[in-house]
Amino acid sequence: MRRDQVTAALSPVLVNLGALLLTVAISMGVIAVSGNDPVAAMRALWDGAFGGRTQIAGTLSKMIPLMLVALGWIVAYRARRVSIGFEGQILAGGILATWVGLSFSSLPMVIHLPLAVLAGVVGGALWAGIAAVLWARRSVNEIISTLLLNLIAIQIVNWLVRGPFQESTGTFPRSGPIAPSARWPELIEHTPLSWDFPLALATVFGIWFVLKRTTFGFRLQFTGANEEAARYGGIDTRSVTVIALVVSGALAGLAGSSLLLGGESRSMSDNFSANYGFEGIVVALLARNHPIACIPAALLFALLRQGGGLMEARVGVPSSVVMITQGLVILLVAGSGFLLDQRGRVRVDAEESTPHPPTEARRATVEVG
Amino acid sequence: MGPFDQATFSAAVLLTTPLLLAAIGELFSERAGVLNVGLEGMILMGAFGAYWGQWWTGNLWLGMVAGAAAGVALAAVMALLSITAQADQIVVGVGLNLLALGLTTFSFREVFGDRGEIVLDRMGTVRIPLLSRVPFVGEVLFSQTPATYLTWAIVAMTWFVLYRTTWGLGLRAVGELPAAADTAGINVALRRWQAVMVTGALAGLAGATLSIVRLGLFQENMSAGRGFLALAAVIFGRWKPLGIVGACFVLGGADALQLRLQAEPYVPAEVWLFIGLLGLAGAAWTLTRSRRRASVTTVGALLGLAAIGVTLRAMAPTWSFPPQLWLTLPFVVTLVALSGLAGSQAAPAAIAVQYRRERDV
Repeated sequence: MRRDQVTAALSPVLVNLGALLLTVAISMGVIAVSGNDPVAAMRALWDGAFGGRTQIAGTLSKMIPLMLVALGWIVAYRARRVSIGFEGQILAGGILATWVGLSFSSLPMVIHLPLAVLAGVVGGALWAGIAAVLWARRSVNEIISTLLLNLIAIQIVNWLVRGPFQESTGTFPRSGPIAPSARWPELIEHTPLSWDFPLALATVFGIWFVLKRTTFGFRLQFTGANEEAARYGGIDTRSVTVIALVVSGALAGLAGSSLLLGGESRSMSDNFSANYGFEGIVVALLARNHPIACIPAALLFALLRQGGGLMEARVGVPSSVVMITQGLVILLVAGSGFLLDQRGRVRVDAEESTPHPPTEARRATVEVG
Repeated sequence: MGPFDQATFSAAVLLTTPLLLAAIGELFSERAGVLNVGLEGMILMGAFGAYWGQWWTGNLWLGMVAGAAAGVALAAVMALLSITAQADQIVVGVGLNLLALGLTTFSFREVFGDRGEIVLDRMGTVRIPLLSRVPFVGEVLFSQTPATYLTWAIVAMTWFVLYRTTWGLGLRAVGELPAAADTAGINVALRRWQAVMVTGALAGLAGATLSIVRLGLFQENMSAGRGFLALAAVIFGRWKPLGIVGACFVLGGADALQLRLQAEPYVPAEVWLFIGLLGLAGAAWTLTRSRRRASVTTVGALLGLAAIGVTLRAMAPTWSFPPQLWLTLPFVVTLVALSGLAGSQAAPAAIAVQYRRERDV
């Protein structure tokens, strides 16, 4: 490796670390403002996330939806589509997974569990598919449609857990218990960590492989980099984009199924998506849209989530501080992008789009520098 | 008239006010080429800022100013990161929404957490002499709060500023072809900064109408998706002030209607008639508008809808509908409205596109 290549590989890591350190500093400041001891808060955060077997298992299990949603964002963003509908897709996937989990309880696990997981994937894909079709057919902006679909899905779940899905006593806003045959078996005994964790890790590598090494990944990359040039090069950019959006929804749907079929939950409650749909976006941005980098980024946010509970219980730090931290991470990571070498990035772009784009596209690339 | 009575229309005008303020504010940013997804966060900041300001000063109008200032503060972050630091506008907007939700929730609990619920004095309605005595229209349009009248004045001023002043012409040029505007001596970054500041102020005011004008209260996440409805209204209104007014009335009307219908034991027969008329109107519009042959399936579907509506009106079944699903009505209406408008040719050409001078380092 040449020296400037090493710098090019290291600089995003360093810039990210800088952004993270700044975020931690600001968050500690906020904690201090709220009249709590920032150092004690950090210690509580650590103990809550890594203090024992149960805590570590909890942290790892919280990585699952974060990684899957982050992958969903990355796939859609490769086509330069901004989906913020993961929350709704998690809910839609969860609804179908719960429906399968509540019915067909006589099925053996080898059929019931895969069926429930598949239902989740299909639910997420369908919900994203609405936005994808509206985008492709009617040019409806996907940011707005996915967000509206979130708001609609929230109300549908609110209704289901108080209506058709409600548990038999009819007192609590949640579904009845999901059949054990539709639940993921435990990976570590008596902890929330179940076998969907290795599945999620495998999905990370699978998506990385698809994006990096397959024709579809190449088409997607090309479509996102320069749609006009891609179309000129014979790629059906519209279908590629629709597929990307649907796959991204399927990943969020898988996350939704995991939230209900694995981990601690035994039934569907009204806000089971718990903001994972937005936090996953933060994870992807922190990973600078690289699938593998989602693993450490998801670990960081899972730590905040798992440890945040103890931080609130032991030191009294309100959970809204975690939300502030997330917002700051997005802003600082996005805002520090200009520190990365602009010229280096343009050269990399030009190298990647090997089949020569038509002159118009090449001129556009040059103008950026 | 059933649910389509004067009370519903009055409520529609009331519910339109925050949407209209936010959407008109967003228009400034978008016409300057900045897609401000952080609108929701700015509304929320405005709602909290106004509540805190009125509680602190004891004056409702100073509260409104504080709300606008809170919106501007968040808008400054948006402008700094997306214009000056050239970060992705959409990503920054998503981050701002999270930050605003965290900040307002945190500050509300810090400042008011132990004090219980404090209801501040709300803004009273002011009946405009003579005009308010016109039957129906007077009650609906001219017996509103001063905040609503202010909103209408702002809409009129926006039209004037955008289309009749040099500043507005420059702003629109920056959103269409920034390089040409730059050549003509307009400071692109500065004009975009100004536009985003105006958006922040108006979105902040929109938040103030939600918290102190209407309720005298602040609630966590009280903007509840209105920022995104306003973003949709800008598209639905085709980036024009008058179009946005129409779009916001449709969305505000849907919101007022669903609030009304939630209280009904079963779906009133008038709703079915309304659906039937909507289907007929849609079919007529599709047939007259399209220069090429209108799609048979579209017209057929709309006529089918009309037939179903009229039949159900005649049968008047006593079907109930869960209130949670009525709540989705404005969102569904927005989605349908957006998909009814194929193409976004009316969008400013340079929207969400960064501008960097060729010889600028």
